Amino acid sequence: MTSPSIRKHTDNAPVVVPSRLDIIQAITGVLLILFLWAHVFLVSSVIISPALMNGIADFFERTYMAQIGGPLVLLLIVYHFLIAARKMPFRASEFMTFWRNARSLRHKDTWLWVVQVVTAIVILVMASIHIYVVLSTLPITAEQSASRVQGGWLPFFLILLPMAELHLGIGFYRLGVKYGYITRASRHVWQRNEYVLTGIFILIGLLTLVRFMLLTN
Amino acid sequence: MQIFQSDLLCIGAGLAGERVAVAAAEAGFSTICLTLVPPRRSHSSAAQGGMQAALGNSIMGEGDCPDIHFTDTVKGSDWGCDQEVARLFAENAPIAMREMAFYGCPWSRVVPGEHTYYKGGKPFKAVEKEENWGLIHSRAFGGTAKWRTCYTADGTGHAVLFTLDNRLVQLGVDMHDRVQAEALIHDGDRCMGCIARDLRTGELRAYFARATLIATGGYGRIYKATTNAIICDGGGQICALETGMVPLGNMEAIQFHPTGTVPTDILVTEGCRGDGGTLLDVNLYRFMPDYEPEKAELASRDVVSRRMTEHMRKGLGVKSPYGDHLWLDIRHLGEKHITTNLREVYDICNNFLGVNPIHQLIPVRPTQHYSMGGVRTNKDGAAYGLKGLYAAGEAACWDMHGFNRLGGNSLAETVVAGRIVGAKVVEYLQGDDNTVFSTAAMRDAAARVQERIDILVSGRNGRENCYAVRDAMQEVMMEHVGIFRNGKDLQAGVDKLQALLERSQHIGLQGRNMGFSPELSMALRVPGMIKLALCSAYGALMRTESRGAHAREDYPERNDRDWLNRTLATWSEGATLPTLSYEDASPYFELPPGDRGYGGGKIIPGDIPADKIRPFGKAEQQEAK
Amino acid sequence: MRKLNIDVFRYNPLDPESKPHMQTFVLDETPSMTLFIALTQIRETIDPTLMFDFCCRAGICGSCGMVINGRPGLACSTQTKDLPDHIVLQPLPFFKLLGDLSVDTGTWFRQAWERIESWIHTDKTFDPNEEEERMDNELANEIFELDRCIECGCCVAACGTALMRKDFLGATSINRLARFYIDPRDHRTEEDFYEIIGDDNGVFGCMGLLACEDVCPKKIPLQDQLGIMRRMTALQSVRGIVPKFLLDRLSPRRCGCSCSEQHND
Repeated sequence: MTSPSIRKHTDNAPVVVPSRLDIIQAITGVLLILFLWAHVFLVSSVIISPALMNGIADFFERTYMAQIGGPLVLLLIVYHFLIAARKMPFRASEFMTFWRNARSLRHKDTWLWVVQVVTAIVILVMASIHIYVVLSTLPITAEQSASRVQGGWLPFFLILLPMAELHLGIGFYRLGVKYGYITRASRHVWQRNEYVLTGIFILIGLLTLVRFMLLTN
Repeated sequence: MQIFQSDLLCIGAGLAGERVAVAAAEAGFSTICLTLVPPRRSHSSAAQGGMQAALGNSIMGEGDCPDIHFTDTVKGSDWGCDQEVARLFAENAPIAMREMAFYGCPWSRVVPGEHTYYKGGKPFKAVEKEENWGLIHSRAFGGTAKWRTCYTADGTGHAVLFTLDNRLVQLGVDMHDRVQAEALIHDGDRCMGCIARDLRTGELRAYFARATLIATGGYGRIYKATTNAIICDGGGQICALETGMVPLGNMEAIQFHPTGTVPTDILVTEGCRGDGGTLLDVNLYRFMPDYEPEKAELASRDVVSRRMTEHMRKGLGVKSPYGDHLWLDIRHLGEKHITTNLREVYDICNNFLGVNPIHQLIPVRPTQHYSMGGVRTNKDGAAYGLKGLYAAGEAACWDMHGFNRLGGNSLAETVVAGRIVGAKVVEYLQGDDNTVFSTAAMRDAAARVQERIDILVSGRNGRENCYAVRDAMQEVMMEHVGIFRNGKDLQAGVDKLQALLERSQHIGLQGRNMGFSPELSMALRVPGMIKLALCSAYGALMRTESRGAHAREDYPERNDRDWLNRTLATWSEGATLPTLSYEDASPYFELPPGDRGYGGGKIIPGDIPADKIRPFGKAEQQEAK
Repeated sequence: MRKLNIDVFRYNPLDPESKPHMQTFVLDETPSMTLFIALTQIRETIDPTLMFDFCCRAGICGSCGMVINGRPGLACSTQTKDLPDHIVLQPLPFFKLLGDLSVDTGTWFRQAWERIESWIHTDKTFDPNEEEERMDNELANEIFELDRCIECGCCVAACGTALMRKDFLGATSINRLARFYIDPRDHRTEEDFYEIIGDDNGVFGCMGLLACEDVCPKKIPLQDQLGIMRRMTALQSVRGIVPKFLLDRLSPRRCGCSCSEQHND
């Protein structure tokens, strides 16, 4: 007996859009993770010495990497957001359903997704502002950054920094889960790694901010 | 009322029902399955142990063949079975297993090399052969000469059921779940389907079919302590009995499982003992070798259950708030074995008893487990009394189990009988193309069911609580129709059941009946269940001998002179007792009655006429001539 | 001995007078009591109209999935001693409510199996006289490991994605397909599997919330199967774009044996 198939075969090749979008979401995510790590590291050079930071900034500006890279990163963020937003509960009923489920389940990974949605929206807005402000007041110098932080922008960074790092840490963990690299056996280890990683980057960021606060011209 | 039509109507969608449905659907006949629960929740899924088939791939099953399987089955049945059917079963079992493998069942396979197995709690080593790599493996079960039980870890029933149900999805068989059959539609000559209740809405439906199959499983719920699922209330047997024409066979043959857990009555598999688990008493003493030096814990179920009861009656049981019990010890099998091969057992103990079997003993006692009896059919699965009515699986008395069935034989029966009966149903459907569905018969059946519902809802005849009546029946069965039986208790039991049958006529609903009412389902069932109970109790009272699972203290010997036969019970309308008649146990004997080699007990020999004796293993050739 | 306060969701959609509400039942706890024992007691002694589903009452059949103090689980294998005095029982969300705690899982699962074609696809025919196709026992165990799903619906009912998007196939379906993916008797190719689950109702709908993994009463490795199937499917869509050596490196192995040739018959 051969197996009759009830599936509708079409002449067209299978639709690859959802799959490729998923891959693009993953790749843009990874690129943004790498960017943010590099960004935090580079800016944190101010902790060692403002001159070092200025040197690095100068290098990126003279090679035009900042001027071109900045808008590209913004584009990447928007692109990543748009793709990932396919999954976001835009309708109130969907959102309420998800919210009720998360509350009822008291399940950490489900809550983490809520965190990701919230942080995503915050990042989209704040990162755009951040990039615009920085790129419209070139050159980047430790002094200018310090005066900005001291001149009232501190709360802005105090919000953006943990939001970005949380989103990144959770995204990194979830990407591993979704593509089967983080398995049942290694999940708890990776969950811990994710906390540690997020913690370290927030710490570095905070130290950087403290340094900017203390920096005098 | 909605009316459905099909070629085949399967009442029940467990393994037997589904296997017959597959046969009909493969032959191109329209098939509808009715089931109380989604098919994959059928009680077949709960069978953990395995299916017996003489494949002989494992080293401990080497040299196995249908002849030996047949012999074990007949001995197990205490010569109560139909030997023609037992032969048919043994010959077809290996094919059915391979077919399941073909459909996708993940049978456990032979792994060549040295393995440690257990027998009677003692480990020994055996080397599986290189050339048998990857063939279907088998494990030990009670009452068999060879290791013959094919298995899938310890979820055999689940694995085979899902495999088969996948096949049904593929074939596009119509599955009507949450539907309860209430009465057969028939004109006194031919069965034409059934009247059923939709358990989503409570509405009645009519199903017309050229052939109707009863495959509703056992009727264990007439007992209080039973391993059977909630749904095993004998619905199919009740429908058959209510026709007044279709007899039920050997309803007194009821098997108790040695290892039902206390207090939830959930079964832990015979595989525990097959793999080397031992039974201990209150002093943690292993008592089975004293009673059964040869087979110890691996004697057949009826023997082990009886010995356990006997031992507890000596005061050596463990006292608990739920009554006496004994211990099952599998600790020595080790954590790996318990958490892989016996994982379901491990889960059951942890989740339902709060016991960790790796370190603790499991409280067990004999619990009602299997009903050998059921709708009596011929070897083709056709029920006596009505044309177009078939039965298969535990619901049927096909009769390969006689008075005791072997572990692993019932699960195998579902797919083997399903295969054979399925082919016969197809033959019937191909041969019969002039069935006329009688609307009058349908209206009549529907009116009767509706009338019963009206009485229950209105409380016209009284407001007896259906649960109270059911509980009373279950108590009577435990008390009077248990493992050890005697004339006095059975008579008292029959009397009490008759009184209960009268009481059941006055049942009325306590709650509202809106949409689907679970209380109404039970209330509709209870009178029928009491009738089944009466068939069992009265049949047991009349059968003045001990055979297989039917153990009479006042008639301890097996009496082949007077009782080498099968009880047939029919129910006339308005009667308070079944009408019993008897037929020969087997049309012929390849294996003349003898000693089972376990269980002890005296035998009163009978005279088997010479023309009823056939040469062993030559039955089929004889048939061909 | 404790007194248990059991709040049960009540609603009979077929009764025009019925409105969704919670009803409290008070019971004396007994030793080894499970929610099966408790609910049966309520129905048989307090309120005979209470609707719920039990069948095997042994955690094998998957009938009695419900939301127990906020989390989906099997009522029959939940011992009251592990719960506080106050127990809240609700029907599984996602599935159609039939009444009180009873939901229609049967219809949903049937449709899911038709969608994913949950059966062995082969061109071979069964020959009763032929020896069975041999299989490595490790592989048989791996298949059974995934086949153990009892279709209780807990994974779907706990899944934020499924609750928002009713067409999502859920972990149970993807796990079921993974079972066929590793079975050499099923001759479907990666492309065939892609066609079934390669969209946002299939593997790409999964957001990695892992509630399925965490509520599964049978501890089926859902997380791992979702990962394997997603990776396989994603790579399938970039075949021809990404170099082959990279694809091979990234691809999850199909099964535990050396039967990759058989899969591509």
